[in-house]
Amino acid sequence: MKYSLILVALLGVASFAADTKDQQMISTPSNVVVVCPNGNCKADKKSDNVLTAKRDLTISVVGQGVAPVNTSSPAQAYALAKRAAIADAYRLIAEKVKGVRIDGQDLVKNMMVERSTVRTSVEAMVRNANIVETTFKEGLCEVEMEITLSRSQFPQ
Amino acid sequence: MRSRDGNHSFTLSISTIIFLLFNSSALLFADEYLISYQSSIKDATLYNETLLISKAMQKCQGETIDKNLILKRDKKNDLKKILLANRENFDAFLEKIGLYVEHREETRNSVNHSFTTLTLKTTCFKVDFNDNFVKITPLEQPNR
Repeated sequence: MKYSLILVALLGVASFAADTKDQQMISTPSNVVVVCPNGNCKADKKSDNVLTAKRDLTISVVGQGVAPVNTSSPAQAYALAKRAAIADAYRLIAEKVKGVRIDGQDLVKNMMVERSTVRTSVEAMVRNANIVETTFKEGLCEVEMEITLSRSQFPQ
Repeated sequence: MRSRDGNHSFTLSISTIIFLLFNSSALLFADEYLISYQSSIKDATLYNETLLISKAMQKCQGETIDKNLILKRDKKNDLKKILLANRENFDAFLEKIGLYVEHREETRNSVNHSFTTLTLKTTCFKVDFNDNFVKITPLEQPNR
């Protein structure tokens, strides 16, 4: 009887240990611990900014532009600032979708930085962009632009 | 005595047919225009904008795509004037067709300068002039 009780207790401890071994603890960035019983699941991250075959991706940017100093009327200032803001929004979309080429150069003379230069460039063809909202305040025009990307637009 | 133009009705019918043929061909085949656009922005300020429009001197290659623009027309035949009168709609249309973005930026000793150009390369558009409106449809080049 005594030995059987010890045996049952040992078996119980062994099965509990095996159960805890199967479970993996995954920590998410928000310090929430996700327990996966089978050990093969990944952290349930919010993948909103990933383009998949089933889900389209909408990118939204806000471009800024200012009116030139020598404008003949407020309407002209608005029109010109809006043009600049649209171009800025296009640039932001191109940067997000295609990426930016960055080139840096530092000139050090007599152990001192004499000139520090960072050049960035982006080139892209942007189609089907939509202006969502335009605001003009104190000479600054802001254009909210968005573009919807789908997997079919990118040839595999 | 019969006149020299005895077949008056025959001549009239032939000339009517020729007239109708010419008119129908004018209605069926819309005009083709070449349009290019470029705007340059320096340090977040627009400093140059170019819109070039020319009637095509030879037939354009390519097929029409399903994007088209319908603009109001006030008895004007000048496409540039019509486009400039409906500038907002035309800009939105250009955004649909697509613009080529080129951006350069330089930061030297914490002083930033930027230069951006938006370009629509010379594209052929089929333009239908109707009584009250103009329909503009881009033709997609095969090698584009």
